[in-house]
Amino acid sequence: MNRSPKKDTSSWRAITESKLFFPLLALTLILLVDLFFVPGFFKLETKEGHLYGNLIDILRNGSTVMLLAIGMTLVIATGGVDLSVGAVMAIAASVAAIMMNPVIIGVKLPPDLLKFINDPNFTYAPLWEVIVVTLFVATICGLWNGFLVAYAKIQPMVATLILMIAGRGIAQLITNGVRIQIFYEPYAFIGSGWLILPFSLYIVAAVYLIAWFLTRKTAIGLFIESVGINARSSFFSGIDEKKIKLLAYTFCGFCAGVAGLVTSSNIRTSDANNIGLNYELDAILAVVIGGTLMSGGRFSLLASLIGALVIQATTTSMYALGVPANAVLAIKGLVVIFVILLYSEQVRGIIRRLTAHKGSLS
Amino acid sequence: MMSRIGAFIARNRRFVPMSVTAILSVVAYILGAIFYPGMRDPQVFLNLFRTTPFLLISAVGMNLVILTGGIDLSVSGVVALTTVAAAALLRQGWNAWVVMGLMLLMGMALGAIMGAFITYLKVQPFIATLAGMWFARGLCFFISDDAIAIDNPIYCLLGQTKILIPGLSDPKTQTGPFISILVIVALLVLGVATYLAHYTRFGRAIYAIGGNEQSARLMGLPVERTKVAVYTLNGFCSALAGIVLSIYVSSGHGLYARGFELTVIAAVVMGGTMLTGGEGYVFGALFGVLITGVTQTLIQFNGRLSSWWTNIVVGMLTLIFIGVQSLLAAQKGRRAAKAGDAALQAQRRRRLVLYGGVAGLVIIAGVVISLIAGQTRNGGVGNTPTPSTAACQFRPFRDQEAAKLATEGAVLVYERNGGPDCIDELFAIYPDGRVVGDNGVRTIEKQLAPEEVETLLGNIAERGWFTDEIYNTWHTPCGQCFEYHITVKYQGQEKSVTAVDGGTDAPADYWQVVSLINGVIPKFMDVP
Repeated sequence: MNRSPKKDTSSWRAITESKLFFPLLALTLILLVDLFFVPGFFKLETKEGHLYGNLIDILRNGSTVMLLAIGMTLVIATGGVDLSVGAVMAIAASVAAIMMNPVIIGVKLPPDLLKFINDPNFTYAPLWEVIVVTLFVATICGLWNGFLVAYAKIQPMVATLILMIAGRGIAQLITNGVRIQIFYEPYAFIGSGWLILPFSLYIVAAVYLIAWFLTRKTAIGLFIESVGINARSSFFSGIDEKKIKLLAYTFCGFCAGVAGLVTSSNIRTSDANNIGLNYELDAILAVVIGGTLMSGGRFSLLASLIGALVIQATTTSMYALGVPANAVLAIKGLVVIFVILLYSEQVRGIIRRLTAHKGSLS
Repeated sequence: MMSRIGAFIARNRRFVPMSVTAILSVVAYILGAIFYPGMRDPQVFLNLFRTTPFLLISAVGMNLVILTGGIDLSVSGVVALTTVAAAALLRQGWNAWVVMGLMLLMGMALGAIMGAFITYLKVQPFIATLAGMWFARGLCFFISDDAIAIDNPIYCLLGQTKILIPGLSDPKTQTGPFISILVIVALLVLGVATYLAHYTRFGRAIYAIGGNEQSARLMGLPVERTKVAVYTLNGFCSALAGIVLSIYVSSGHGLYARGFELTVIAAVVMGGTMLTGGEGYVFGALFGVLITGVTQTLIQFNGRLSSWWTNIVVGMLTLIFIGVQSLLAAQKGRRAAKAGDAALQAQRRRRLVLYGGVAGLVIIAGVVISLIAGQTRNGGVGNTPTPSTAACQFRPFRDQEAAKLATEGAVLVYERNGGPDCIDELFAIYPDGRVVGDNGVRTIEKQLAPEEVETLLGNIAERGWFTDEIYNTWHTPCGQCFEYHITVKYQGQEKSVTAVDGGTDAPADYWQVVSLINGVIPKFMDVP
């Protein structure tokens, strides 16, 4: 974002220059449309102590993209991009499912266990083991991307394209091409449980806090921004840009793993073909709406989260307006074009001129 | 001798990535021909072209875009939109040639708009074309939710005309190896694009922009115009690929060509074009497409490996080619930086990393091979899962018998196995209303009115049988469940689905189809 060199005390200017301004504006516009065209869109109700309603739905369904957007923000801030998050989600889901229900790949269970396979309380590996191993595998995937980008010096888009193409194949290899159903209830709680609010939101909050602490309470955030602005000069000023990139991609893999857990437990199956399909695009879009430039540099995690909510709010509103599911894509495309226009230098110039005019009046 | 070869390679370094792909595909094919005698049939080789004309056309267009340093993700959306729009217009009775012209115009318009966004509004190509892809794919579903069949005579003529290979086939009986008109179209596109890229000012501008946009502008080349033209050209190629696809499958649907853009980009990269732009040859697209085709063919002929292996192999090949490319780039850099000692050390380090990468690849290959070996030992992937002891002994589906019935004219073949009584029944329904059932012991027959069969098929098609929503839901058998294998032929489309009931996640529409069929077939108990 362009910062004018001289300090401007006008608070209006400070607001429009804030990273949160445009995403919040977009979100408000979409919700305004709902306010006028969808009666009862904002109604919240409690059932058995849980909150329900369209707004909660937006938060709940947007949690996957929010998780991905956190990791993607860091990667894009280093000047890269990670196209493989969707495939990593599929791998994570497959690993989790196969650990709970390994019958598919021919693990010989004792016959007295076989009848428990459809039992909601049965799992082959304990839950903590499932989660740890899944996240570990996803983190390794991220590490692989980071290695290719930082140390083998392959262009980020190409390096992550490899895992994007091969990842779904690997996921199917893990489950032997079978869609494994997940019956285990405690696992299902991850994605579809409620503690007043949907449980997945607490996971988003936890991951966001980890990322926020890493980037804003340590120097890592500063290093990431400096690598994104100019990798060479940050190298000369003593920042190990390779390690920073490696860290960003690894964390992105971790986030994709968490997102894979949430999605698979929500739909209760490991569907290597469809889990996370096109999510990498949603995640990148969320980051772009959040105002982080694709060329890297300054980033805002919170703005990316709001960007993810903008996407989900669009989708949910379209459903509420009765647009068929597949046709929502076209609207999404138009929203992207609108956002692009909003962010282009030309339009920014016009807005700046208008606000400057207002500033002189006050 | 070695130094001579080295010098030769150094002189023609630009051709190395392309030649590696070409050699690799030839070697892979020869190896396949040695192991699988079926691959020695010349028709199998020609099928490499016959089954991928749309991929080649799209790869050519994408190649030009990537040469300018851009990328176009919208191809899959535009392809799908073209198939649906063309099918819808043809259903309305439009002239086929007019429809094709309109589709090409539409593709070019979409490409031009995206190009303008990228060039004049400085939007990242990635984002702009992504929006284009979503927009195009979403539009498909405003036109039609379901697949639309195409029965236009011109489309059929274009799709089914055999072009026999002189010298190999018999022109009198119209038998022998052949290719289709679509292949000729694709090769023509390849030829024209090669000419454009290497022998015209336009092509030179493309390479200059890909090499360095800033210096291209300073040299006075029309950067803006060229970039918009390249995206327009790719829009044209995508639309043409869509037309070819709709002719090839004689239908249109919004879910066609999902993930197509990835296959295209992978083919271009394997064809030796650098994703950074400015380096590569349009002709390489042909080899990129060929190696994808060879991979698929090998996996088909192996029979034990499932189709997802194509993904893994293509991903690994992409990695190898990127490795080759960065090795070449490193060589180039070493030559340039001979003077600087520090630079040399950096080179050495990079080479070390590269060797590390290669070693990693070898390890991956080892793992993959051991996996394959392991699976072969276990009796192969995709075998019928062994049933639990307490339940019925599942009989394997009589696939060949079912396929034979379908080719003999049955419009619907329905097989169910298992259940509490452990049955194995195979039914065939013919267009004239005849229903024949066979439970392995005896056969029964029933006569329906031909209209009833037509309504049944219509209802099945309406429930999305020919869409991707109905997928194979092969699942662990649950002991007392039924297994179903259904083949339906309707309006030129054919689709087989295998599923298991009880605890499966098949879509609701699938079970409605099953109940529809169960409503008309005769019961074996009825007949004494």
